[in-house]
Amino acid sequence: MKVLKFGAVWCPGCLVMKPRWKEIEQEMPWLQTQYFEYDDSLETAKKYDVTEDLPVFIFLDRDDKEFLRLKGEVSKEELVRILSEHKDR
Amino acid sequence: MTVFRRIFLGIAFLCVVLFPVFASAQRTVPVYFFWGDGCPHCENEWELFRSIEDRYATAIHDYEIWNDRENALLLGSVAQALGERVSGVPFTVIGDQVFMGFSSEQTGRAIIERIETCLRDGCPDSVASIVRNAESADEERATGKPALQPGGTENDPFILSLPFLGEVDVMRYSLPVLTAILAALDGFNPCAMWTLLFLLSLLIGMENRMRRWTLGIAFLVASAAVYFTFMAAWLNVILFLGFLWWIRTGIGIIALGGGAYYLKEYVTNKDGTCKVTGGERRQRVFHRIRDIIHERCFWLAFVGIILLAFAVNLVELICSAGLPAVYTQVLALNDLPSWQYYAYLLLYILIFLLDDLFVFFVAMMTLEVTGVTSKYARFSHLIGGLVMLAIGVLLIFKPEWLMFG
Repeated sequence: MKVLKFGAVWCPGCLVMKPRWKEIEQEMPWLQTQYFEYDDSLETAKKYDVTEDLPVFIFLDRDDKEFLRLKGEVSKEELVRILSEHKDR
Repeated sequence: MTVFRRIFLGIAFLCVVLFPVFASAQRTVPVYFFWGDGCPHCENEWELFRSIEDRYATAIHDYEIWNDRENALLLGSVAQALGERVSGVPFTVIGDQVFMGFSSEQTGRAIIERIETCLRDGCPDSVASIVRNAESADEERATGKPALQPGGTENDPFILSLPFLGEVDVMRYSLPVLTAILAALDGFNPCAMWTLLFLLSLLIGMENRMRRWTLGIAFLVASAAVYFTFMAAWLNVILFLGFLWWIRTGIGIIALGGGAYYLKEYVTNKDGTCKVTGGERRQRVFHRIRDIIHERCFWLAFVGIILLAFAVNLVELICSAGLPAVYTQVLALNDLPSWQYYAYLLLYILIFLLDDLFVFFVAMMTLEVTGVTSKYARFSHLIGGLVMLAIGVLLIFKPEWLMFG
């Protein structure tokens, strides 16, 4: 499983999410994540249809198929629950 | 007209022609002055009347209309009788001439000229009968029980007895509380934050500590100065224009629109997302900030950051859903000494900047840019939205309720 994270330096919600993800990444070393700074990654953002809101988190399975998309501020507990549930995808 | 009166007027006319000073001492000009408590232009007109009371024989009949419904109705009757439309106070009738609003030079001169004319030539007292009827009706009503005097102690509805705090005068604290609510709502406005976050993301990568702090503080102080200047200018425009009903109603409508917008934000943006809009402009500002930060000459960077703060904040003012305009209108409704107007504006700016200051100091100390979680912004949207709706309704229908203390 892989998580694509779209955010921006000018977006308070994205900044709030950064330390939450940092903690999760330390607690779940098996998790693959990739961060895209929105203004520097417009092509990728367009490809994944990230055009209206930030932050956006796209969950991909091992075939790189999206199975879940979250946006805005998400609690660490909620993220941990989702990641544990879909760990084997 | 009786024969005696004709003779009297004839003699008076001669006296006026031959001895103007004598004549003016003999005749009294009735002035009907409708005003509002806390209206600065009315206060200016009061000053004019006080300054000329020794020079001209005038009888000032004054009627406060915002706190006295009977007087407001009387103004309606007088205006109707004279075929005028009331657009605000002060509203003054001298003879059969109406003066609406007051600017100390132009209107003041016209009022004095009118009084001189009435003293010299006489004027019809167009509203005396309307006023007399109203006053006698008032007297009849007043024989029942006296009206409640605002500011009374024992039965004052605005004094609450609270546990631990004792007696609290609600009116005294209403304006500071309202200032805090609106400023906090304005401060959580994401438009005001994004440029600072851009700047911080570049500043924290800077090795020179002194330069980092100086440029950051310069940006914040300049932002505060722009906001203060804008609000002070707007406040003075409102005070200058007086209390024209259509301006007050217009700002009331803006407040209703702003309130609806903030409540919509509360309901629809539960997850605290940022809208991706204005991409090109954002890129432009970002490049400009980067150029300024990397400018080798410190003073050029310093001036550049101040100019940028001015430019960005002026644009962002439009994004604030009319909050500064609504707040300054409410402030103008309150009769305060000049220094208190500006003190309230400073309080507003300070609260408006609190979240910026928090983000700034955390970033400068930890070298990590952090955001303020959206739950506070959401909470402020709910409270602020409701307050804005209430202000909108009051500005349109009951402005006197917004005059605190």
